[in-house]
Amino acid sequence: MIYFTELEHLPVFDVKGEYLGSLADLCVDPSQNALRVASYLVKTPQKGILCITYTQVQSISVRAVQTSTTLDQVSCYAPDEGLLQVKKDVLDQQIIDVNHRKVVRVTDVDFDIQPNDGHTELRIVAANVGVAAGIRRLLQGAVSKHRIRALSGLFPSKTIPWEFVNLIEPDSSRRVKLRISYDRLAELHPADVADILEDLSRDEQKAVVESLDDETAAEVISEIPTEMQAALLESIPSEKAADIVEEMPPDEAADVLQEMTPEASAEVLADMESDEAKDVRTLLGFEEKTAGALMTTEFIVVGEEATLEGAIEALRNFDGNLESVHVIYLIGADQVLTGAAPLARILLAESSTPLRDLSTDEVISVQAHADQKTVVDLFHKYNLVTLPVVDERSHLLGIVTADDVLELVVNRR
Amino acid sequence: MIKRLSHFRTQLLVFLAVVGPGIITANVDNDAGGIFTYSNAGATFGYSLLWTLIPVTVALIVVQEMVARMGAVTGKGLADLIREEYGFRMTFLVMVLLLIADLGNTISEFAGLASGMSVVGVSRYIVVPLGAALVWVLVVRGTYQSVEKIFLVACLFYIAYPLSCFLAHPHWADAIKGTVVPYVRFDSNYLYVLIGLVGTTIAPWMQFYLQSAVVEKGVKLKDYRLSRWDVIVGCIMTDVVAFFIIAACAATIHVTGHGQIKDAGEAALALRPLAGRAASYLFAFGLCNASLFSACILPLATAYYVCEGLGVESGINKRLHEAPSFYALYTTLIVLGALAVIFLSPEKQIPIALFSQVINGMLLPIVLIFMLRLVNREDLMGDYRNNRTFNIIAWVCCVTMIVLTLVWFVSTFFPGHLPA
Repeated sequence: MIYFTELEHLPVFDVKGEYLGSLADLCVDPSQNALRVASYLVKTPQKGILCITYTQVQSISVRAVQTSTTLDQVSCYAPDEGLLQVKKDVLDQQIIDVNHRKVVRVTDVDFDIQPNDGHTELRIVAANVGVAAGIRRLLQGAVSKHRIRALSGLFPSKTIPWEFVNLIEPDSSRRVKLRISYDRLAELHPADVADILEDLSRDEQKAVVESLDDETAAEVISEIPTEMQAALLESIPSEKAADIVEEMPPDEAADVLQEMTPEASAEVLADMESDEAKDVRTLLGFEEKTAGALMTTEFIVVGEEATLEGAIEALRNFDGNLESVHVIYLIGADQVLTGAAPLARILLAESSTPLRDLSTDEVISVQAHADQKTVVDLFHKYNLVTLPVVDERSHLLGIVTADDVLELVVNRR
Repeated sequence: MIKRLSHFRTQLLVFLAVVGPGIITANVDNDAGGIFTYSNAGATFGYSLLWTLIPVTVALIVVQEMVARMGAVTGKGLADLIREEYGFRMTFLVMVLLLIADLGNTISEFAGLASGMSVVGVSRYIVVPLGAALVWVLVVRGTYQSVEKIFLVACLFYIAYPLSCFLAHPHWADAIKGTVVPYVRFDSNYLYVLIGLVGTTIAPWMQFYLQSAVVEKGVKLKDYRLSRWDVIVGCIMTDVVAFFIIAACAATIHVTGHGQIKDAGEAALALRPLAGRAASYLFAFGLCNASLFSACILPLATAYYVCEGLGVESGINKRLHEAPSFYALYTTLIVLGALAVIFLSPEKQIPIALFSQVINGMLLPIVLIFMLRLVNREDLMGDYRNNRTFNIIAWVCCVTMIVLTLVWFVSTFFPGHLPA
């Protein structure tokens, strides 16, 4: 195990024992091998930078780097965006710790020394973020390495194995070159990813969101605060923004579009598919802070004469978020809301039972223009999970779900 | 129709949302250290330090605009930027220096609280522990937000100063002359007060606070223009208040030959023309409000940016075990600040408060140098780099403070080497 703080400034010698320079940085080539140090950047006394490939390194220790080459066989350094430089791109930068689901700043990097096939290789093991790493950085160069190891050993060490490290790179073409993918990140719960996003700067947020697939991006964006949502969506191209917004539940989509500037939201709406856009436009038409503005147009409704089979068919055809379905609403001949059949009852019923019999006696609903306080009170009084929203003629327009009401209550505090 | 109305409302809301960091920073700027520094300046040197206000206001606007711009463009805090561009060791050293300065500032807030309440006869042994506990609970329990409005409203107290100033019938000719004619003496006392004046107005911790507040608000680049106005208005407000505190003290205390301010009772005399016998109560009220307000913000802001720079978990919304160092740092600042004031004798309170502002002034160039190097980086700021005027003003400010500090040092420890 050797640390970057111990490797930096190490003297580098050629095969004859002549001093070449001091070790300035280490480069990894993710297209070849994501963990192996591919080249060593050495600063010469004449202020030039040499580039030594890993096959030319004979041995590495805390005292020196011994190469198996001579000066004339060593090339000069040419900056390459496809290479990951440890000091420039990793040290003191923020990374995402996918395991602990947070954003941390790298203080030191751990390496393993591995002899291999006549030369010696360095492989990245972990990012080091604890107090021990801080002590090493502070004392680096001022005190002997052996004493630094002893001192830093007294303090807690916190490392993140490299496989859980997600680098953050705002430049999308560089992301491709460095093979940065956020697959692991995408596997986390959207709320956790949203927490991580909140710790990043806007460019970095954009980088992460652009790399996620539309559905995951939509779920994640739904979980971040509204102002941030709007800022984020305004910063990505409107076609991609439209793709993401389409994946969001219509009420969330309406909220975000409302928050964006009129020009930006018009662009996004224009780029959306017409059905989705229509739903969202309807919701945008309602005044803010009313039941209409809170509701979503994603709900399941069947005729009141339908049976269990009809309900299951409707569930199968539903393309919204199944987890949020608790009730199937029933409408009468004139499209008026007549009943609400809880899913649990449907599950227990005989297949030939008309849904009308499974409905609760009185359907509690709210007018679209009612204010949001009324909505909250209704939820509270009748212990509701969803509340249907109707117009003056009792036609079902949408439903308000408990999570939206919870958000209202939490924000009011 | 709804779209158009909501557009206007959005714009208004954006303005109101973006207005905030600057105005709040301005009012926190006038904390106990500020009130004492300005009062002392007016009492000891009359109108002759008023000329500093215009250059200092200009410098303040430039500096704060720079940090607001950096926050809006990079979306990162100042400590974050310093860490990313200058590495751990440099960041650590700067954080240590600023921590010391901010501990001094915290001490001066509690000193203000103690002084203010001593005017109405309450002992510091009661007031300071209570005040510290109150501040800690308000902030940690998260109820600070609801109280912030009360603090801001109580800041209307500062109107007392211009009123009192006019009622004191100052010698306006002298005041105007003092405002436009620069007058520099090379003696230690004068320079000390001068450095403190700059340090209390352009406090280093405020720059970190403002940049973080701008980032927190998520100020978008296009709304940044509005936040510029917020900053400018805030700066002007701060310095108008400063002007009247100095002028009022000059017109009342200096004129009667009292000289250096030794306790809050003397500083309160500046409000006599307005409030008569109630001047001390009025002053105590304003001073305590300013002290508590800043005590709620300053140590918290310090804990935030130090943790940010060192890469340690921070956040008042996190639980204790999630962000232990943050809470430890914050609590230590409050406890040490309070303890220092409890054990310091009353005569030392104001000198320590003044000294803490002088430290601000001496550390300002260090922070300015970092800021200037960061704000001029093309890869960080793109087209929003500093223009030449801003660079000149900021560098002049930086160099001036370094020169003033050096000259003060020489005149204090090697007196007689400089012309009078």
